[in-house]
Amino acid sequence: MLTRRRFVGYSALASAMLASRPLLASGLGQESSGQHPLRLAILGSVYSLGSSLQDFADRFLVGYPWEGDWHMPPVQVVSLYVDQRARRAEGAPTGYQLAMKGTHLAPAGPGPTGGRPAHPVPQHHEEIEIPGDLSEARAHQFGFRIARNIPDALRCGGNRIAIDAVLSVVEQDDYPSNDRGQILLPTYDFFEQCAQVFEEEKHAVPFFSYGALSFSLPEAKTMVATAQRLNLPLQAGSAFPFTWRLPDIDVPLDAPVEEAVIVGPGSLDGEAFDALEALQAMMERRRGGETGVKAVQLLEGDDVWAAGHAGRWSKELLSSALSRSDTPLGLTVLDGRTQDLAAPGVLPQLVKNPLACSIEYSDGSRGTLLLLDGAIEDFNIALRIAGHDGPLATQFFLPPAPNQDWSAALAAQIEALYTTHRAPWPVERTLLTTGLLEACFDSRHQLNRRLETPQLAISYKPPSEPQYARS
Amino acid sequence: MAQIPSSSHRPRLAAVVTAYKKYFHPQHVVDRFLDGYGWNGTYHHPPMDVVSLYVDQREGEGDLTQERADRHPEMKICSTIADALTLGTSKLAVDGVVVVGEHGTYPYTEHGIMKHPHFEFFEQITKVFRSSGRSVPYFNDKELSWNWDWCKQMVATSRELNFPLQGGSSLAVTWRVPSVEFPLGAVAREAVSVGYGGMGSYDFHGLETIQCMVERRKGGETGVEWLQCYRGDAFWNAWQQGVWSKELVKSALCRSSTLAPGGATFTSTFPTPDQLRTLVPDPVAYNYQHRDGLRCTMLLMNGLVRDFTIAATIEGHARPFSTQMYLPMPDGRTTLASFFTPLVHNAEIMFLTGKAQYPIERTLLTSGMLIAGVDSGYNGGQRVETPNLAEVHYQPNPESTFWRS
Repeated sequence: MLTRRRFVGYSALASAMLASRPLLASGLGQESSGQHPLRLAILGSVYSLGSSLQDFADRFLVGYPWEGDWHMPPVQVVSLYVDQRARRAEGAPTGYQLAMKGTHLAPAGPGPTGGRPAHPVPQHHEEIEIPGDLSEARAHQFGFRIARNIPDALRCGGNRIAIDAVLSVVEQDDYPSNDRGQILLPTYDFFEQCAQVFEEEKHAVPFFSYGALSFSLPEAKTMVATAQRLNLPLQAGSAFPFTWRLPDIDVPLDAPVEEAVIVGPGSLDGEAFDALEALQAMMERRRGGETGVKAVQLLEGDDVWAAGHAGRWSKELLSSALSRSDTPLGLTVLDGRTQDLAAPGVLPQLVKNPLACSIEYSDGSRGTLLLLDGAIEDFNIALRIAGHDGPLATQFFLPPAPNQDWSAALAAQIEALYTTHRAPWPVERTLLTTGLLEACFDSRHQLNRRLETPQLAISYKPPSEPQYARS
Repeated sequence: MAQIPSSSHRPRLAAVVTAYKKYFHPQHVVDRFLDGYGWNGTYHHPPMDVVSLYVDQREGEGDLTQERADRHPEMKICSTIADALTLGTSKLAVDGVVVVGEHGTYPYTEHGIMKHPHFEFFEQITKVFRSSGRSVPYFNDKELSWNWDWCKQMVATSRELNFPLQGGSSLAVTWRVPSVEFPLGAVAREAVSVGYGGMGSYDFHGLETIQCMVERRKGGETGVEWLQCYRGDAFWNAWQQGVWSKELVKSALCRSSTLAPGGATFTSTFPTPDQLRTLVPDPVAYNYQHRDGLRCTMLLMNGLVRDFTIAATIEGHARPFSTQMYLPMPDGRTTLASFFTPLVHNAEIMFLTGKAQYPIERTLLTSGMLIAGVDSGYNGGQRVETPNLAEVHYQPNPESTFWRS
């Protein structure tokens, strides 16, 4: 059986073509004058138009809109490691070869942090002539080094660490999946390779990893422990908690939140992680802060509706969340009409394969992520707060492609991590969401059983100030 | 927004519209009264009934009139406007009128504005008001009329017959990203909006984007003295010469969610001057002067953006004031044009309270500026003196009426 480590590229030693280029002055580009900018190494899976790596790496190359101005981060990208190039260079097996060996390829899934790249990657190719790969064009335009491997990205061809921060954007290229259906994204491997270098040199720099810490909670916990040991500011997560909200509201700090329902489209290996992060960023502000999760269950099909009838998730909250959507499908697509999607019978007609991630928090509060493909195309949340007049509901506003300005909101947080060496939000949030997602896969694998989750007894205090885009 | 008084009486509304087809303004507006909409975290059904519907043009494919009437039997399809208002009696028999004069197929003026029948509808409606000796609140979507004299007459008649007249663009009331209001009583130096669409239609939205903000400045609205349209090379020369502030344009563009990338392999960049000229082959600017000295510019930059943003210089503020008037747009971005939601909600409040939620003079001024802008464009960009608009002065509603809950 192939393991994901085969794909990771400790041995990605091929291709000596990638010498450092002199810095080029660019009309668009990186500022090379003035104060010493932070030197950034970027690690990722695939640098093609529409990939998450392209989105985030470009934010640090050409800037982004922020607080009413075009913001150029005080950052100089100095090196780039693209796993796809390295794996192709070392002759890693193609999707076809993997299939012949019986390893099933991960299904595509469009998540901002989870899924498939926007453009399919051809399975047949010549060496590292990868159609659509932007690495070399960007390296040429902005004057950074394309690294042969991850340690090389940190050392930039020398013997010592030559960067001040790391951005890691691992997303589905053609990584395999395990028997539970999880895509084996090598986020942990990327981090561990960096940590090894940091440890050798007794020098660590801030590290941001886009998306879940890992597909595996034990690995994620190791990452957090390693970061603590090395005194390394580590942060991971999705952009959803940081984007604009319609309306501009947050859970009042210490409010007695009883239940939350977040609803959107997507799949477990696609948008689920982003939605769990959005849910958690609001739930963690409840009275007593985060005290962990005691049980998780993934429901599918008619069991989702049955759970609603049984009161395991609140229909009132779903109705409230749906009232924030700008993307009802069905009859609205037919003739433009407004619709109350929560009216009896509507959702089961529109949604053929509903999913519900049912979360029981240790303090008795509940959260449910409803993935209702076919009902809506945006993400909305509603929370019931004791003593509050009606639900608190909002939409996580995801400005459309190609700009996708929700990623600018996260880029600003990543930049804060780099410049302050302080994690803007507790890494425990992402540890918890990483574990929640894994527990959902586990529950599904165990025939949708409710699973006790002692491993999710994760406590933390939320940031005192709201962190989403609002100015 | 104002508190809605509770009442057991459900107001009865007549809807008078051009054409009822998917994604036409009448569909967006009237559907919200019929089928409700999401508001303040619940699905809201307006506490009022559309009891009659007049549709001016039902020809062609896609007419939804009958489908809506079948699902809402309380709504009678009427063949005349008078009938829609009197419901087969001789007198006004409704408590409010919803007029949507946008869309449909009507001739164009010599200068290129479609002659939407806002005024013709208004005339027929107020004829019933007069003959009945009674008037009711009147909602008028978008501009007043393509003809300035008619615009003025509509406002004068609403005063004479003493009924609230409220309308304008949804841009003035939709979500703002960020959710900010122009500070009441602030001293404004200059304002710029950047939008898209054509002259004679979307220019109205750009003008309302600016006006709903700057009317809150110190002293309120004082009127507009002149207006000049710039297109083509004249636009770029004016841009170069700083006829309007490049800094404000930049601030506005930095609020856009739809900036066209400057290069084929990029997804989010700020355009260089050269890229701007390539991206925007036919730019439009209406540059105009208020009587109190405030200078404003409405830009339409097709090819660069697909949203509306505003930036303004405010005395005492270190940085420009800026925001996006967010339009959830069913052109692939959303399925609902939810910006009609706060427009309808404000109309509902007017029907329940009998009070306009924002001054009709705003719409009078923007309607007049649209006409002046198209005239100036038609005359090769000559400055148009606007003594008629210099007379439009008013105070804003100090309460905010945009969508934020």
